[in-house]
Amino acid sequence: MLSIFKNKISVFVLLLAFGSAGCKKLVEVDPPVTSTTGASIYTDDVTATTVLTRLYASLSGTAYNSTSGLSTPFSKKAGLSADELSLWSGAGTSDIAYYTNTLAAPAIGSGGITAGNETWTTCFGFIYTCNAAIEGLNAATTLTPSVKQQLLGEAKFMRAFYYFYLVNLYGDIPLALSSDYRINNSLLRSPKAQVYLQMIADLKDAQTSLSSTYLNGQLKSYTSPVIPERVRPTSWAATALLARVYLYTGDWAGAEMQASTVINNTTLFSLSTLSNTFLKTSSGNNEAILQLQPVNTSGTSFFNSEDARLFVLSAAPAGVNSTHIVYLSPQLLSAFETGDARKTNWVTSYTDGTGTYSFPNKYKLALAGASVNEYQTVLRLGEQYLIRAEARAQQNNTSGAQGDLNMIRARAGLGVTSANTQAGLLTAISHERQVELFCEWGHRWLDLKRTGNVDAVMNAVTPLKGNTNGWKSYQQLYPLPIGDVQANPNLVQNSGY
Amino acid sequence: MQIAAKRNAFAKTKPLPILSRQILLMMKCTAILLLAACLSASAGTSAQTVSLSEKRISLEKALLAIKKQSGYNLFYKVEMLQAYGKPVDVNIKNVSVPEALQEVFRNQTLTYEVAGTTIIVKEKSEKKLDLLTEGLNPRLDISPPPPPNPDVTITVLNTDNQPLEGASIIIKGQNKGIATDINGRATLRGVDPNATVIISFTGYVNQEYKLSSNPGLKSGVTNLTALIRLAASTNELDQVQIIAYGSTSKRLQTGNVTTVKGEDIEKQPVNNPLLALEGRVPGLFITQVNGIPGGGISIQIQGQNSIGSGNDPLYVIDGVPYPSQNQATVFGGASGTPGILGKSSAGSQFSGNPLSYINASDIESISVLKDADATAIYGSRAANGAILITTKKGKAGPTKLDITLQQGWGKVGHFLDLMNSQQYLQMRKEGKRNDNTAVSSSDYDLNGLWDSTRYTDWQKVMIGGTAGYSNYGVTISGGTTNIQYLVGGTYHRETTVFPGNFANQDVSVHFNISSTSANQKFHFQFSGSYLSDHNSLPGIDLTQYVFLAPVAPALYNPDGTLNWAPNPNASGNSSWVNPLAQQYNLYDNTTSSLVSNATLSYRILPGLELKSNFGFTSLTANEFAGVLINSIAPESRPAYTRTSQFSFNTLKSWIIEPQLNYNRNIWNGKIDVLVGASVQQQGNDGKQITASGFANDQLMKDLKSATSWFSGVADISDYKYNGGFGRINYNWQDKYMINLTARRDGSSRFGDYNRFHNFASAGLGWIFSQEVFAKKYIPFLSFGKLKGSYGTTGNDQIGNYSYLNLYNSQAFGNPYQGVTSQAPGGLSNPYLQWEETRKLALGIDLGFWKDRVLISAMYNRNRSSNEVINYTLSTVTGFTSIKENFPALVQNTSWEFLLNTRNISTNQFSWSSSFNLTIPQNKLISFPGLAQSSFSGKLYIGQPLTILNNYSFYGVDPATGTYLVRNVNGTPTSSPNFTTDLTVFYTTLPKFYGGFQNSFNYKGFQLDFLLQFVSQVNNNFYGNPAAIPGSFGAGKGNQTVSELARWQKPGDISFFARFSSNFQGTSGDRVVEDLSYARLKNLSFSYQFGGKFIKKAHLQNLGLFLNAQNVFTLTPYKGFDPENLNTTTLPPLRVVTLGIKVGI
Repeated sequence: MLSIFKNKISVFVLLLAFGSAGCKKLVEVDPPVTSTTGASIYTDDVTATTVLTRLYASLSGTAYNSTSGLSTPFSKKAGLSADELSLWSGAGTSDIAYYTNTLAAPAIGSGGITAGNETWTTCFGFIYTCNAAIEGLNAATTLTPSVKQQLLGEAKFMRAFYYFYLVNLYGDIPLALSSDYRINNSLLRSPKAQVYLQMIADLKDAQTSLSSTYLNGQLKSYTSPVIPERVRPTSWAATALLARVYLYTGDWAGAEMQASTVINNTTLFSLSTLSNTFLKTSSGNNEAILQLQPVNTSGTSFFNSEDARLFVLSAAPAGVNSTHIVYLSPQLLSAFETGDARKTNWVTSYTDGTGTYSFPNKYKLALAGASVNEYQTVLRLGEQYLIRAEARAQQNNTSGAQGDLNMIRARAGLGVTSANTQAGLLTAISHERQVELFCEWGHRWLDLKRTGNVDAVMNAVTPLKGNTNGWKSYQQLYPLPIGDVQANPNLVQNSGY
Repeated sequence: MQIAAKRNAFAKTKPLPILSRQILLMMKCTAILLLAACLSASAGTSAQTVSLSEKRISLEKALLAIKKQSGYNLFYKVEMLQAYGKPVDVNIKNVSVPEALQEVFRNQTLTYEVAGTTIIVKEKSEKKLDLLTEGLNPRLDISPPPPPNPDVTITVLNTDNQPLEGASIIIKGQNKGIATDINGRATLRGVDPNATVIISFTGYVNQEYKLSSNPGLKSGVTNLTALIRLAASTNELDQVQIIAYGSTSKRLQTGNVTTVKGEDIEKQPVNNPLLALEGRVPGLFITQVNGIPGGGISIQIQGQNSIGSGNDPLYVIDGVPYPSQNQATVFGGASGTPGILGKSSAGSQFSGNPLSYINASDIESISVLKDADATAIYGSRAANGAILITTKKGKAGPTKLDITLQQGWGKVGHFLDLMNSQQYLQMRKEGKRNDNTAVSSSDYDLNGLWDSTRYTDWQKVMIGGTAGYSNYGVTISGGTTNIQYLVGGTYHRETTVFPGNFANQDVSVHFNISSTSANQKFHFQFSGSYLSDHNSLPGIDLTQYVFLAPVAPALYNPDGTLNWAPNPNASGNSSWVNPLAQQYNLYDNTTSSLVSNATLSYRILPGLELKSNFGFTSLTANEFAGVLINSIAPESRPAYTRTSQFSFNTLKSWIIEPQLNYNRNIWNGKIDVLVGASVQQQGNDGKQITASGFANDQLMKDLKSATSWFSGVADISDYKYNGGFGRINYNWQDKYMINLTARRDGSSRFGDYNRFHNFASAGLGWIFSQEVFAKKYIPFLSFGKLKGSYGTTGNDQIGNYSYLNLYNSQAFGNPYQGVTSQAPGGLSNPYLQWEETRKLALGIDLGFWKDRVLISAMYNRNRSSNEVINYTLSTVTGFTSIKENFPALVQNTSWEFLLNTRNISTNQFSWSSSFNLTIPQNKLISFPGLAQSSFSGKLYIGQPLTILNNYSFYGVDPATGTYLVRNVNGTPTSSPNFTTDLTVFYTTLPKFYGGFQNSFNYKGFQLDFLLQFVSQVNNNFYGNPAAIPGSFGAGKGNQTVSELARWQKPGDISFFARFSSNFQGTSGDRVVEDLSYARLKNLSFSYQFGGKFIKKAHLQNLGLFLNAQNVFTLTPYKGFDPENLNTTTLPPLRVVTLGIKVGI
């Protein structure tokens, strides 16, 4: 009997062992080795940096023929919407909608074409990263203070950068400032002015947080004699963007002051020659304030900027996959003054039996090669001169405005401006911006809307682009994604759509 | 006194040093294992049968002869044998040991006992034995007055002479019974000598034993013995049904389980054992995605439960879970394209099906578990049912060598009726006329570049080949009562119908060893299956090329090189992609699969067994996809960098399942209690690499010969799983049955808040045919059972880590500032919960005329809730959705019918049939928040999940020849509004499906066939949906001749729009038709050679057979095959094989 009893005990013990071991511990897994958890990523300088680095890499790496994305795809769309670009007749429906100013929000409940909302989706995706980073960095306790400060500055700078484009493309914007989806999914649209105030606050924070010298991927200063590449935001980038924001909000004095801060830093910044304006800094370009390092490759070869891949034509425009479908519009070509060196240096053309196609040639290296020489430029000194010229003109500082304008004209091989009244100067500056900043980050489209010229210009241009119904003023704002309007009843579609 | 005496006797005859019972359990187990091994080894060397022919030989000598021949151990007291043993006349030949003993002891006053392989000789009355041992040595009185009611000890063996434990012994007419012990013995006390005893055991034919037939009774012995050997039952109701953690029979089961036997699987020349289940199992719907060896298979048990997560059943091979999906591969996962193998289910990311790495000929049986009663014990993983695969085991008996050689041929069963060159050119020219456009420089078929007098039947060229099918298998098996083994090896090779040298071949080995200790207490089983598969295929399915223009150029130039038909007007650029170039676009998959398990069990007490199952599974897949330069058009070659893609995947999983099983008779019934735990861990390690810059085609499989490498998605993940489970089964007199199961599960796929969940079920069965009233009033009813079950099961197929907030690496060819970058992977929901399915099943089983007709009907209702679905968010949140549990309710109801009949059963000829029918229904009952989910506009309340909507087809506009559909008001329109006018709803869910199997036996001949049928609605195939009739897209513009009935001139009434290069308007539901089909799924014919011939050839058996799969199909479908309903993938092939089976 004893033995039976003992066996029972052993069984009981076995079961007890399994029973207690079972449960929690046996179903706990470590986080995957292929990822970093949100809880741990901001505990280490290197991993925390990877989050912000990714924003620049994504901005730079968005392929030229992608439908979504800021940078090159956006330059194309905004260029098509305005009067800068012409479109190959065989292009896809989405490009045609941008080009003919016929973007339409599909009806609720349907699939339909979603053209018009790509930039919205892209920017909010990145804004989530900025918000998550700001929250994570603020809570971080183990980071090197300088790293934490720089990254916080970068996150705020980038958040302002994305909001700048959102507000200019879509009008009033839901202001997502946290990573909490429950809050963000029920936001109302904030008035443009409020969004601008947030941008100004973020940029002011960034100005103080960000390093004044250009940093490398480890957030350390480049060691001499290596010439720093200007591919991470600095306080100068924040200042330059703040100058632009002030200009857009009509704070002329603020715009002038911020632009002056950048312009006056002559040790770092100076206007380059036309052919050097879009090179990387170490190749002899001191005009750049913020650039993007190209990240795409083909096999072992490196691509230069995606802009070059989009614009540079080696054949007549064609391609069903949105490749090489745009070229410069007659409106832009005719805008260049006689003798403008930019028309020869920054514009080239391709001719075959079907016609002659002029294309932007600011970035010239379209094919993959052994090394990278051209960096896509986000902010440059040339724009700062034009910002200050406009701000000064608005403040009736005619000579100051003329001086700044003439800096840009001189580089283009043109004589001094003949404009000498405020109105004349503003027109001249507007024109100068058209031919200086063409096909860069949608400047032309944003300027038309900012200056109130959009209806006048587009009334003439839209019919020429094949829209027989003509321009309608509501079309200066793109439609919101229909899915967002459905998912968040507080979001109201832009009127007209 | 009785007990003491017994122990005394045992002690005296115990052959080995008695191991102290006080030592630890584990040591005992080990010792017994060693003992078993030793005994078995010695036993294994001798024959198991005994032959003896002697006159007047002493009992001692006779027993020694049996010991010598059988290898059994023999224990006896010399004095006793000399005093009481009578000389025997014996003449036996090749009989089993128990039979020999019965013969030898026929007229003895002594008796014997067999324990395992030990023979113990003893006195018939133990009382007398005691006297004997006490030295009193009295003379045995052989004629005492017979006691009125003797005791009888019955030993129950099977035909392999293995004792049957738990067999029930009931005295006829009394409701009193007992069960046999581990030695298959039970003693009835004081039995009426006129009584009849009924011996029954699950899976065996009941036997009646009349006590009066016992020879001992006449001689007045009060302690009778009887040896009963039960034959395995051939009654369908008594077939063993493998269920979760155990087995039962169809007669006694309370759950909904269907078993398909290995012999039915073997008859089907398929490359995935799952395909052998098609049409055989009610409630199981299988679709073969394509006819590519190793291709995807979609499988659903009782419909689609989950809206947004996996719907795969749980696969368990010999107690070890097996993956239901392949891992991410070059052509799956990251790149999103399913590749040539095809996806196994619509929602899955990955291609192929892992069950194709299980050798079908190793399978003993496949059980499909459907309702809660059968599946709830698998808890969280069985919401979609479970499929249990049991592999073959060795059987006791002489060593047997089985060789099976099978050779066959596969072809596409049905070709399309495509246009010839004249018809094609007429169509193209008419299209140009209708479009009012001139022949352009790229209309190679019309502008003279291509020779318009040519005609090529591209179906013949691309998929008209004959695929080879070879299967060679060898199995060696045998064993003794204590140890059995089986070792088998199979070589399998299939080629394709494509041009080029492509083949799928695999080599597999399977082994199984089981051993039982001499005292039957310790049992050990070890089995493993290993399969190594090499599948080489073209990178894309060549079926898509059948639509090449019939006037397309010749494949080869006169010099034998591939013809790219250069266009002199376009700098000599190729005018087509030569389809044969695809033989240089390679896909190569090398997969090895190992499933192994060991089961140790120890009987602590009679009826109480401690058991543990240890399993290890690994699936290693290495893939290569390479685009060789020859597959690129010559003009593009200078710019082409040779690129290869590699993926390396390893999945390793282990499981430990300790269990405690207790069964005993209680309150005149049988109770079976199971308690167990399950611990499982699975590790996934998958990497992908794209390499480019190889110097030549030969080096493209060598990573180090590349000049650059790029890493694709890596899937390195862990999955842990832990559960505790229990089951109580009570069976009262084979009349009332209750089965309760419970399980508590934890899965690492859920966050801390909801990691554990409980599942339970209850099943009831009532065999009313056992009731007196049934026997009285429905005499023709031989079996009648009502059963029902209700319970909950869960689903955790939501992917790993979805509750974690993760940042993933983003790889760039030229890293930004030389450092890595990481991006948020998505919004995480740490509150994710299990999907839950509540299953209700009600059924009735009826048997008529001695079970010659068996009918079973089941009604099932499965309701799934707490669905894990992507909740659509505004992109302002940064993402488009978050996974959340929705209170949506999906209901699957089905009627399942099964009819088994033995139509004719004579010695010479037999005919049996089996018919099954399933009528499924699927309905979304409720979905609060549907509008906010990612399924908004795709699902509708009250409709099946497979709902589709379309415009209502009006006709071809007689004036213009373009398609018109009706708008919401019924008015014909060419520009319908998709928000209002999608008025036609239909579902692709089959209306019913099933199979009808027949089996004929005549002497050595056997003929089996299986008819499979499916009633369904789907898109019929007209023309070539990939190209507008009249267009020339990529040269693949050919159409079926049905298109010739097109609109030609104003006033024509037609089903087909005019020919054109341009879109002719949406045609709505024009092609939605009833595409039901019936097919002769399998035909098997075999002949077994008769006894004389076999003896002469010294064989155990010899058979010839012919197996055919997908023999013919009746369907209104106009495409290749109504099963996969696809025109660009290879249809399931018609395969015919011939084979020979030899047993030595």
